[in-house]
Amino acid sequence: MASISIRNLVKRYGNFAVIPDLNLEIADHEFVVFVGPSGCGKSTLLRIIAGLEPITAGELYIGDKRVNGIPAAQRDIAMVFQDYALYPHMRVYENMSFALELRGTPKAEIDARVKRAAALLHIEPYLDRKPKELSGGQRQRVAMGRAIVRNPKAFLFDEPLSNLDAKLRGQVRAEIKALSQELKTTMVFVTHDQIEAMTMADRIVVLQSGAVQQYDTPEAVYERPANQFVAGFIGSPAMNFFPVEWRGEAVVFSQDGARVPLGLESCGPLRQAGKGVLGIRPEHFAVAADPADGMAVMIKLVEPLGSDTLIHFDLAGASAIARVDPSLRPKVGDRVSLRPQPGKTHLFDSTDGRVLQ
Amino acid sequence: MTDAPTTDRWIRYLNLLQLALAGIIILAPTVWMVLSSLKPSFEVTAYPPTLVFTPTLENYVQLMKTTPFASYAVNSLIVTIGSTSLGLLFGIPAAFAVSWTRVSWPAILTLAARMAPGTLFLLPWYVMFRQVGMIGSYTALILSHAVITLPIVIWVLLPSFDGIPRSVYEAAQVDGCSVTRILWRIALPLVGSGIAVAAILAFVFSWNYFLFALVLSNGDSKTLIAAAFNFIGEGSTQWGALMAAATLIALPPLILAALVQRWLVSGLTLGAVKG
Repeated sequence: MASISIRNLVKRYGNFAVIPDLNLEIADHEFVVFVGPSGCGKSTLLRIIAGLEPITAGELYIGDKRVNGIPAAQRDIAMVFQDYALYPHMRVYENMSFALELRGTPKAEIDARVKRAAALLHIEPYLDRKPKELSGGQRQRVAMGRAIVRNPKAFLFDEPLSNLDAKLRGQVRAEIKALSQELKTTMVFVTHDQIEAMTMADRIVVLQSGAVQQYDTPEAVYERPANQFVAGFIGSPAMNFFPVEWRGEAVVFSQDGARVPLGLESCGPLRQAGKGVLGIRPEHFAVAADPADGMAVMIKLVEPLGSDTLIHFDLAGASAIARVDPSLRPKVGDRVSLRPQPGKTHLFDSTDGRVLQ
Repeated sequence: MTDAPTTDRWIRYLNLLQLALAGIIILAPTVWMVLSSLKPSFEVTAYPPTLVFTPTLENYVQLMKTTPFASYAVNSLIVTIGSTSLGLLFGIPAAFAVSWTRVSWPAILTLAARMAPGTLFLLPWYVMFRQVGMIGSYTALILSHAVITLPIVIWVLLPSFDGIPRSVYEAAQVDGCSVTRILWRIALPLVGSGIAVAAILAFVFSWNYFLFALVLSNGDSKTLIAAAFNFIGEGSTQWGALMAAATLIALPPLILAALVQRWLVSGLTLGAVKG
């Protein structure tokens, strides 16, 4: 078990810097999720930690040991791959025992550890099967089992849920979370799915273009996004954005000059900046009791989700979504009056997207 | 207007015709050879050829009596097994290295060597082997035949190694494997059928290769295919015995070719890797 420290890390492919300059400290026993869109460098970063990609510049420490240039085989980390990467010619038992065997672990101990991991993951009935005889979910468990038996310094997961169907994904997600609490080992998990990031992580690293946009707890990343990119990436459906201005002691939409019904306590940063981008999450719209207090919108599309209902509408020239109570029974063509919930709005700089404070 | 079933029927006929033509081209000489080996010697060269005759093994008996056929067969086996083993010994790690590093020029170099005419190697080898007194030795023949077997092994195995998902190699690295161990414990068991195909093809090509043995062997180390050439005399050619020899020489490659077909069909079963 160990902390992971990344200092001024640079990774280039030719002239292209996938990771221009990255610093990150992952504490011992912490469950950290790297999240970001395709090509943001999250998998590259994980592979660098694993020792599968060389570092162009910078330093990487696992525990107290500087591991630049140390091959993957000697880093004592375990990794679960997106395609599981099970050894097709070995039975499940051999897949799980292989790493221990390489380390010269006594047979009796190998047997005990494999069986303990198999019990933990409910794969005992499959120990004698080859990977091709297993379903996707079972293979996923075997891949995790192969990692668990090692008792490594850290677990690395490279989008391990992406090949599972939605139901199984939710189940395995919960199992990995429970496992992390039981094993108390440093875990780094890569995903492009922000729900996975939010539900599993102690802390989330939001990456874009190889740079850390925010590194914080899921709650903080959701409630206090550091910039417009993070605000737009975390949360589903995504946050709505509207260009706004401070005009005549009020916040107005830049597009049509209509007044935004915001409390003055939310407007401070805009008063200084003059203009910016207003961010409102779909769940942070409220239906105004008095139509005069809200912004009148016409519903374009209704998505009933059971627990709540999403309504799509145009506001100030932008498409937007609000999450409303299903008892409202909205219908396409209905007009509703919406207002942002007090204290739940976000303001971003209109040029660089950083949060306005 | 032609309807679809009629078109399908025509396509089927054309396919059959194509197969029949290919069969005639490939099988006619083989059938001719086998039938001739079973004819009485005076009928082998009869014109017009006889199609109805009383089969006899006299050509085979004559072949065994007049030539050290078994010795030649042993020579062929030593050279072929030796050169196939040599090809596998160096070709397997070479193919794996090319696949692992994704540096393909060494493989292209071996392919170029395979494409080059044998005489290109023959002359320098003859000089070199003569200088070290190795003409006629098995070593010289085995080394020269490795030029045939090595590229075959590399090029047959390269797609097999490439077919193993990279992540399987990476999982082995993370599990603690060195590159050598990855080859031994992970890659080799997964390309078993490829190795079988490579070995059989290398064997067949080496067995059938004529030129090197003709020049680099002597009376004691002559291989079957080179020895068969001796039946073609300046004055009289023993066609019956020659056909019997050719039939016997062709048997091992034919049997092995049938085996290759089975292996090729079975192919690699790596479907287990991805869900």
